[in-house]
Amino acid sequence: MADHIVTSYDTDLENLRRSISEMGGIAEKMVTEATDALVRRDSALAQSVILADKRLDAIQHDIEERSVLLIARRQPLAIDLRETISAIRVSGDLERIGDLAKNVAKRVVAISDQPVGQKIILGVQHMSDLAEAQLKDVLDAYASRDVKAAHDVWERDGEIDALYNSLFRELLTYMMEDPRNISFCTHLLFCAKNVERIGDHTTNIAETIQYLVTGETPAGDRPKNDASNYATVTPGAA
Amino acid sequence: MSTAAATAATEALTQPATRANADSSAPVRIAVKDLNFYYGQFHGLKNVNLNFHDRQVTALIGPSGCGKSTLLRTFNRIYSLYPEQRAEGQILLDGTNILDPRVDLNDLRARVGMVFQKPTPFPMSIYDNVAFGIRLYEKLPRAELDARVESSLRKAALWDEVKDKLKQSGMGLSGGQQQRLCIARTVAQRPEVILFDEPTSALDPISTGRIEELIEQLRNEFTIAIVTHNMQQAARISQFTAFMYLGELVEFGPTNRIFMNPEKRQTQDYITGRFG
Repeated sequence: MADHIVTSYDTDLENLRRSISEMGGIAEKMVTEATDALVRRDSALAQSVILADKRLDAIQHDIEERSVLLIARRQPLAIDLRETISAIRVSGDLERIGDLAKNVAKRVVAISDQPVGQKIILGVQHMSDLAEAQLKDVLDAYASRDVKAAHDVWERDGEIDALYNSLFRELLTYMMEDPRNISFCTHLLFCAKNVERIGDHTTNIAETIQYLVTGETPAGDRPKNDASNYATVTPGAA
Repeated sequence: MSTAAATAATEALTQPATRANADSSAPVRIAVKDLNFYYGQFHGLKNVNLNFHDRQVTALIGPSGCGKSTLLRTFNRIYSLYPEQRAEGQILLDGTNILDPRVDLNDLRARVGMVFQKPTPFPMSIYDNVAFGIRLYEKLPRAELDARVESSLRKAALWDEVKDKLKQSGMGLSGGQQQRLCIARTVAQRPEVILFDEPTSALDPISTGRIEELIEQLRNEFTIAIVTHNMQQAARISQFTAFMYLGELVEFGPTNRIFMNPEKRQTQDYITGRFG
């Protein structure tokens, strides 16, 4: 695309893009490390994830301010307006992803002295691996303005939901087997839910990419495979 | 989001939009068909085809010299004041080709009013400025003329400011008031179409706001075409936008689409300030 006649306008937009990419890098790292901390029961790593969230919040705040200023000063139109609005939206989603990763990290600290079934943790890890891959793909799609890649991410969110659903049932079963499992299982359930929410925010970003490039938001409902809203387990049936 | 902001946002969503959306089903008031325009040898408009819908504001945008004012000036044949200028093709106003030499120019200009960039009050009283146009075409009894002048000044949102000084010279008004006086003079002739050629480019933001508010009101009665260099103004006040470049119509469509997601690369480059 041709440059703006006013070069500082290009600089403003380029700086927004850079900040989003910095946020993306931090959020990705937080999600990976939160899961690693969970799997390895590593409280120190969990603490560093909790700390990283501050930086993410600060950049998000900064992006929001600069976007508002850009709207006020330059009154962007068409692609420039969509770019600015997208920056606000994507930074919001990335900030939330950071919050969710931070929440997982907090739970790692909370359950650090409890015996935890490693097998069920691996279930959360598997889910998280998928969410990380999705997040990486969506950030690449954002950087390259690739609608096709964004749409692929959008379509794959159902897989994370399906995993969450089966993990939910598994955790319920564990809790029923032995009430001493309830504490860590509840924490793991929240961890899994957080990862599922990370997937949702990633899907939001995919939708924003489509809006950014085409000016339209995806038609139709998102692929949803989360049936946990309706899942129950009867004691003794397991 | 704060509670106040959330409330404001909810209210904004439940209130009707401040500017009506484009209504493509509105009847076509002016149909431009294969219009070509020449300034002597210079080909100023090239095969322009475009419809102006009834009671909609259509903004004409484009860089200087793109032909937007030329197009506007064909609608009341004001160009025919200049011997070297000629138009070919058709401009149908309610189905009648106004380029037909048999069309009465005085009649045409009563039906298609025009407001210019610089306010053009006549050196006479405020009252006479408005009455002037009416007297050209109609012989009204004094009381009716008074009523028409008042209603025109009201429609131009100027009445309250000038009602006590109707006998004073129109030249003594501020720039924004003069522009509204010219709008009142145009409205007084009860035209069908009003053409605005950069009506606010010489005005301060407050006067500009008043004119924009006025155009929004006038839209309920008239078909409006406006040439503007201010992209945000076009986005604010029009329902349809036409982008012109080098004498050609590049893109035409609902204003919301043109400014959010134009189809043509040239349109996007122009409205985003990328034109080289």
